[in-house]
Amino acid sequence: MKLIVAGVLLMGLASTAPSQIRFEEIAKKAGLHFQLHNSAAGEFHQIELMPGGVAALDFDNDGCIDLYFTNGASIPSLRKMGPEFYNRLYRNRCDGTFEDVTERAGVGGEGYSMAVAAADFDNDGRVDIFVAGVNRNILYRNLGGGRFADVTAQAGLTGVDPQHGKMWSISAGWFDFDNDGWLDLFVSNYVAWDPKAEPRCGNADTRFYCHPNAYQGVPNQLFRNNHDGTFTDVSRQAGIAAHIGKGMGVAFADYDGDGFEDVFVANDSVRSFLFRNRGNGAFDEVGVESGVALREDGKPIAGMGVDFRDFDNDGRPDLVVSGMVNDGFLLFRNLGKHGLFEDFAQRSGLLLATRPLTGWSLGMFDFDNDGWRDLFCAVSHFPSFEAYLGKPAAQPNRVFRNVTGGRFEDVSLAAGPDFQLPALYHGAAFADFDNDGRVDVVVTTLDGPVKLFRNITAGTNHWLAVRLHGTRSNRQGLGAVVELMLPDGRRLTGHATTSVGYASSSEPLVRFGLGTSRAVDRIVVHWPGGRTQEVRDVPVDKVVDIEERP
Amino acid sequence: MRWGSACAIALACCMLAAAQTSPGLAAYDRADRMFHEHRFQEAMDAVDEALKLEPNLVPALTLRARLAMAANRYDAARQSLERAIAADPKSWYARFLYGFQFYQQNEMPAAIEALQKAHELKPRDPPSALYLGLAYEAVGRTVDALGLYRRAIELEEAAGTLHVETLLTAGRLYLVLGRFDDAAALAERAAKADPASRDPHFELARVWLKKAAPAKAIAEGEAALRLQHGDTPDRQIHYLLVQAYRAADEDEQAQRHADAFRKLEGRNRPN
Repeated sequence: MKLIVAGVLLMGLASTAPSQIRFEEIAKKAGLHFQLHNSAAGEFHQIELMPGGVAALDFDNDGCIDLYFTNGASIPSLRKMGPEFYNRLYRNRCDGTFEDVTERAGVGGEGYSMAVAAADFDNDGRVDIFVAGVNRNILYRNLGGGRFADVTAQAGLTGVDPQHGKMWSISAGWFDFDNDGWLDLFVSNYVAWDPKAEPRCGNADTRFYCHPNAYQGVPNQLFRNNHDGTFTDVSRQAGIAAHIGKGMGVAFADYDGDGFEDVFVANDSVRSFLFRNRGNGAFDEVGVESGVALREDGKPIAGMGVDFRDFDNDGRPDLVVSGMVNDGFLLFRNLGKHGLFEDFAQRSGLLLATRPLTGWSLGMFDFDNDGWRDLFCAVSHFPSFEAYLGKPAAQPNRVFRNVTGGRFEDVSLAAGPDFQLPALYHGAAFADFDNDGRVDVVVTTLDGPVKLFRNITAGTNHWLAVRLHGTRSNRQGLGAVVELMLPDGRRLTGHATTSVGYASSSEPLVRFGLGTSRAVDRIVVHWPGGRTQEVRDVPVDKVVDIEERP
Repeated sequence: MRWGSACAIALACCMLAAAQTSPGLAAYDRADRMFHEHRFQEAMDAVDEALKLEPNLVPALTLRARLAMAANRYDAARQSLERAIAADPKSWYARFLYGFQFYQQNEMPAAIEALQKAHELKPRDPPSALYLGLAYEAVGRTVDALGLYRRAIELEEAAGTLHVETLLTAGRLYLVLGRFDDAAALAERAAKADPASRDPHFELARVWLKKAAPAKAIAEGEAALRLQHGDTPDRQIHYLLVQAYRAADEDEQAQRHADAFRKLEGRNRPN
């Protein structure tokens, strides 16, 4: 009898033991030969440090997630002088390999590109591509048949500001701020930069890249969709342009539950911004009042990537922000009371674990499908700082396992031999590229080849992904909040967004790990604008398509 | 990483007496006096005169390095200190300053190497222990850092020169490590050591906020704001008080501090 009891207990333990998150790197095997060129040539131009945006998007609607990479250009001309500088579109063949379709699609780009934001801005059912860059922003409209058209000028999205001219755009994201069913565009701008007036830092024999303090900050931009393929710059009337920062990553979520998506902008070495959407076309900047503007000790960090997502399963979106070595990453828990957040980095263990890191793009996804969103971060130090840190700039990435919403545990060392590969990791996008129910990560490297980390986490945990099809809402349902009710009483919440991390764009599906749960009682979708839709008897381990009821 | 007053304290308390008579000594003494009177250009002229008379006079070389650091000329400071160390490899003070300037320049491996040597040469010197701890903390060696902070506190206590900043440096690391009671104890000791300083009250407020005691955080934060002396800027205190008042459901007070924060931000907007 004792043996039986012990056996049952052991079986029980085995079924609840966490699966070790593991990745294998398969970029070459998958036919991804993209190489990022930043044109660094010993002149220490600030722009060289920053590129690497990547998008995970399904441009041909075949159910397999494709990839778009941004790329640099020659310096100081800031022109793509040869094919090595082209941005690149890779089509997922749905067989584990990708093909380069850049030329055919006409999306090689121009200028020194930084970031990409992918979404269906014209509600035609095809995902479009916005490229943000130092001297050129580009909007590519997806024409279907694998072709795109540069519609930047007619759309009014060149990004040229009447006061500041063309600012150095470093991240961008699509969201429907006025709930009119059409996606608007937010562009995060970094600093005023001129190749002819690059400040020199360090001395003759030990020159290095200047601190952001050497450059003037600039405002961000908000463009309202006019429903006819054009946009209006509403940055000033919306209250966005009044705030001068040094914008990096941008993320959206309805943090106060008022039905309108809000905007968080991570700033580099100055305080971050939380723009609360008033629902009348204007925003209030409430970072200070909400407790997300600065680190808990009131000091700014070199904010880089950001994700606005619920990590503790209380149904409210929280915030994670990567920073530079000795900053420690920020983790803010949404308290759901008067729009207040709690600095949770220390309590979760993330502060101490991330102080030695310089983090770029990141994302909170449930890599082991245990029902708790984990954290992946692209990591590398600045190339000229090795002597100062006593560490190589090339570092391996990090993955932190979420232990029931209270603690993040660094499980990188056990994430497989490929995961220990050091590189100058920068941009990262998250998607299930092989449709096996596990979230994979594509990561760009500064002046190096792309890496595709395929999630090979073992285990029998279940999952569900929701692909939304808006009819009154924007076509991809971006901004919609999806709730899952499980038979054991758990409720999991997520929202549709492609704006994740730094300079990058992830798949729009809302993904959930279900742990051992083999069923979902019901799904409730809260569409932008407040309409609610319920779906029952949902199969698990599948992508579920939900079309908005007209 | 930058550490204003502690740096001044460390440098002030680490003056080396040049006891023996030497050709450059009179000029050096003059330079040292001028340095303490903040007459930096005249001090530099006098120290150059001393070094002309006696190129390897170590106190003059270290003073020259301090003057160079005050002028943000770390390259010149480094050269002077390398000469001083070559002239007297056992000069713990030259080693300490050498490590200190690397620390200030964020060159941690070099800072650790030099500060370790300084610490070995004079194990009872509190600043060597403190800065070696700071350099260890900067590279993630928190256990080593804590040990050295504790040692620096002991040494300062033994010498009757306990500094607020030494206590608070250890307290801040305890806070990061989640050892809130240890952090609070050190901040309270710091408040007793210097009742006029706002810094211990600010650190206490941080601890109370972490311990979900917003009323106590408010009391300490407001106390910090009333005191003028210390390194913590008003802006940081206002930010903390916004969080504390909001946690205490006192939104009007929170807004008052948010407004004060924004006013300061408008005035001191960084580039």
